[in-house]
Amino acid sequence: MEGFPLISVSMILPLLGVFVILFTKEELSKWIAVFFSGLVFGISLVSLFFFDFSRAGKVQFEEKYVLIPELNLSLHLGFDGLSYLMYILTTLVSLVAILWSTRDHQISHRLKEYYIWFLLTETFLVGVFASLDLMVFYVFYELTLVPMFFVIGIWGYKLRLYSAYKFFIYIFVSSLFLLLGIVSLAVQHYRQFGKFSFNYFDLINNQYDFTFEVFMFLLFLIAFAVKTPIVPFHTWLPDAHGEAPTAGSVVLAAVLLKMGTYALLRFNIGLFPIASVYLMPIMVLWGILTIVFASWFTISQSNVKRFVAYSSVSHMGFVVAGMFLLNAEGLRASITEMFAHGLTSSALFMMAGFIYNRLHSFNMQALRGSIKFMPLFAVLVAITGFSSMGLPGGSSFWGKFLTIVGAREYTLLLAFLVVVGAFFSAVYVLYLLKTLYLDTKEESRLIHFTDLRGFKLSAFLLVVIPMLMVGFLPFLFFAFYDPYINSLLNYLVSRVMGG
Amino acid sequence: MEQLISIEFPRLSLVLPELVVLLTGFVLFSLDLIYKRINHALAISVSLVGYLLALLLLVFNWGMEGETFYGLYKRDSFSSLMQVFMLLLTMSLLGFNYLYYKSKKSLYGEFYYVLSFALIGGMFLVSSYNLIVLYVALEAVSIAFYILTALLRSDFNSKEGAFKYLILGGLSIALASYGAGFMYLYSGSLDLRYILTHVGENQYFLVLGLVLFLIGFAIKIGAVPFHFWLPDAYQGAPTPITAYMASFGKLAFFAPVVRLMPLVQEHFAYAWITTVAIISALTMLYGNLTALVQKDVKRLLAYSSIAHSGYILAGISVAEVIGLKAVIYFLLAYSLMGFGSFMVLALLERVQGWENKLEQFSGMRFSAPWLAFSFMVMLLALLGIPPTVGFVGKALVFMSLSFERLWWLALVMIIATGISTGYYLRITALMFMKEQVNSLNLSVSQVEKFLILLFSLALVLLGAVPIILWNSVSPSAENLFMR
Repeated sequence: MEGFPLISVSMILPLLGVFVILFTKEELSKWIAVFFSGLVFGISLVSLFFFDFSRAGKVQFEEKYVLIPELNLSLHLGFDGLSYLMYILTTLVSLVAILWSTRDHQISHRLKEYYIWFLLTETFLVGVFASLDLMVFYVFYELTLVPMFFVIGIWGYKLRLYSAYKFFIYIFVSSLFLLLGIVSLAVQHYRQFGKFSFNYFDLINNQYDFTFEVFMFLLFLIAFAVKTPIVPFHTWLPDAHGEAPTAGSVVLAAVLLKMGTYALLRFNIGLFPIASVYLMPIMVLWGILTIVFASWFTISQSNVKRFVAYSSVSHMGFVVAGMFLLNAEGLRASITEMFAHGLTSSALFMMAGFIYNRLHSFNMQALRGSIKFMPLFAVLVAITGFSSMGLPGGSSFWGKFLTIVGAREYTLLLAFLVVVGAFFSAVYVLYLLKTLYLDTKEESRLIHFTDLRGFKLSAFLLVVIPMLMVGFLPFLFFAFYDPYINSLLNYLVSRVMGG
Repeated sequence: MEQLISIEFPRLSLVLPELVVLLTGFVLFSLDLIYKRINHALAISVSLVGYLLALLLLVFNWGMEGETFYGLYKRDSFSSLMQVFMLLLTMSLLGFNYLYYKSKKSLYGEFYYVLSFALIGGMFLVSSYNLIVLYVALEAVSIAFYILTALLRSDFNSKEGAFKYLILGGLSIALASYGAGFMYLYSGSLDLRYILTHVGENQYFLVLGLVLFLIGFAIKIGAVPFHFWLPDAYQGAPTPITAYMASFGKLAFFAPVVRLMPLVQEHFAYAWITTVAIISALTMLYGNLTALVQKDVKRLLAYSSIAHSGYILAGISVAEVIGLKAVIYFLLAYSLMGFGSFMVLALLERVQGWENKLEQFSGMRFSAPWLAFSFMVMLLALLGIPPTVGFVGKALVFMSLSFERLWWLALVMIIATGISTGYYLRITALMFMKEQVNSLNLSVSQVEKFLILLFSLALVLLGAVPIILWNSVSPSAENLFMR
């Protein structure tokens, strides 16, 4: 696979799918989409054998196409351990979302467009995680908005238009600050080195005076705090995730939120080490507050999709808190949690969509005991729920546990605060599971429910199996990013001590 | 002893494209005189041949530079670039006008030669430093525009718009020439390059002159608070002419201001930055806020055009090379976006009962998918979604603002763009997410369809591969700075 342009192939294949869909019959579009996203997923799995895990801190599969030489603007693509993991998550979740859509009752009209938007999303997401050029990163970051705007607005539930607007405007406006930040970095590079550059590896050499660095950190933070989201900026999320069709929510929660946390880690910490260290306590506390508040919001929801959406916010709190602990355990927790949340949240949204197809309601009260006559589904949902709660053996366990360990390295109090957050985040999962399994309901309606099968089952299994893998074989995943974390920490130390 | 006046034979090769366009104009004029009812196919083909010839002359002599007519005329890469775009826009306009005017029952022969006179005025406006030439060229473009605006003779709005335009346009030219007078008084020269670098007594004559001159142009480009004529004129004008004014007009009227940018001197740079930045902030905010509440899409796009003048002015406030590049790029980008978006309206206006109301766009995706898709691309480009030209322009403007550390203006621009999201998205959502209210009986020619799709494709392609435009924008900006 040496010299094989993995990234551009993964980006072009979905586009090829788009063209094929454009010129074929509407009924075929879903199978074409499944084929192409499956192909990309297959390629990403094969590429695992060619990724050098011992050098995961370095960029691999590198490709570079110059766009504007004068500004050092280039389509510079490559994966290190972190982005490679996110890439695998993207290809997996895109396949899951498309598989699920083939049997979703909500998706019954304008099929061609629907699958075109999903394939485009996949291309853009791979672009987001692969870009090593900040301007190109920004281009893909913004581009993911457009397909999702249409997916929410056309195929969503009742409040779809409002949610689509809200989603687009929140993220678009906040990311304009990011744009300002990116071009300011290029200008700063010009002041120091006499040439503009948007390349990540050029920009990490920039030196700033302290106020300017904090200012830049904040510009980036505004964009990513809205995208992640962190609590006061989260209000777009329940609407967008709650009103989107199931597959849309899956992609939104599993991958689009990761763009925010991924970028926080890569750009905020990578580019502004001194500001990050300075603002570390605030960010960690902010993360913990996000966990606690979002957990409270979650428990008070009556709509199960909004419930799952808020639970995503609280998980993102763990990611942010762990990341800004800035030690090996914290970073490891944060990245593991990113991956794990991608799996659990997709499974939970599929659960909500599946029950909606049976019951035609998202109301928590209507859901009571609804899972009784679907044993396979019940088992899979239970695994998902306990994984999300952070039971040992579940995928989120490592995220929560390692965050506590990382916090303990600073003070006991901080670790205690994280434990409080973990407690509240367990409460809502238990509440959900109780509603689904233990509450009673007249059973005559439930008895006709057919269990999970076929494409939906395979989509569910595609996320549940990796969930168990994260839980029981975490070292497989640590291998992706441990070298990355080491090099990041070394870099931080050298910058902070050196400066 | 040096001769006071050296007789120089003008280097006609420099002005060959202009001469060709001028000749085309006179041929069209005589055609209109000779024939009682002009043959439109003939007129269109004569204009196209003329413009194409001028375009080829420009392209094959790319990089030609020099001055002639005793420095009255200057050809450099900036003027060539602008002229290429002007010719392209004029040629595209000829693909749309016939069916539009036919549906409005206003087919007149004047259209063709007035158009070429507007074009010749614009071509001179982008290629001179001399105040007199600028004045004459400005008048040529403006008078042609008044006539073109009023060309729907039976329509009341068209005449009202033209009248407002005429009065405010007259005021703007009066102010500009008054300012030119002061500048002459200060320096004893009519050449802007000399005036601004000249150090003389009575500095305030220079400031007064420059301010009046700039106000004259600010009226033309619709900068707040000199914008009042613009929405009415844009709304009243025949829609293809609106498109032409928004695109070609912006290129022409901004060009002298762009030429001023490299001449801004140390001692009044601060005044320049502050004044232009404040006007720019007002223009952006006003344009976007008013566009947000419009129910009429043509008027909405007119206000969006004002807002875009604001973004361009933000670039102009940064009198550095990077600012100049941003401005030229944005100008070219807007000329494509503005032309395309107004042209979509021009096509729609031919539908029976079409009134440019927002609701009428509901469900356009079902009745005219290709048009809805192209219009969406144009709106997203106007909004500045990557990878369109609108985005590249905005990113470059942000870059120059960051270069000058004008953080407050950058913040205003973010807010203004945020506001603009509201109305661009509303139209997009109406087209794609609402049910169809009435069916559209759209009849368009293949040429029109091709041109609209070409414009939307160009918006994406030129943005995704920015090097295409950049390679001509960047050298011309540097060239201007070197003088």
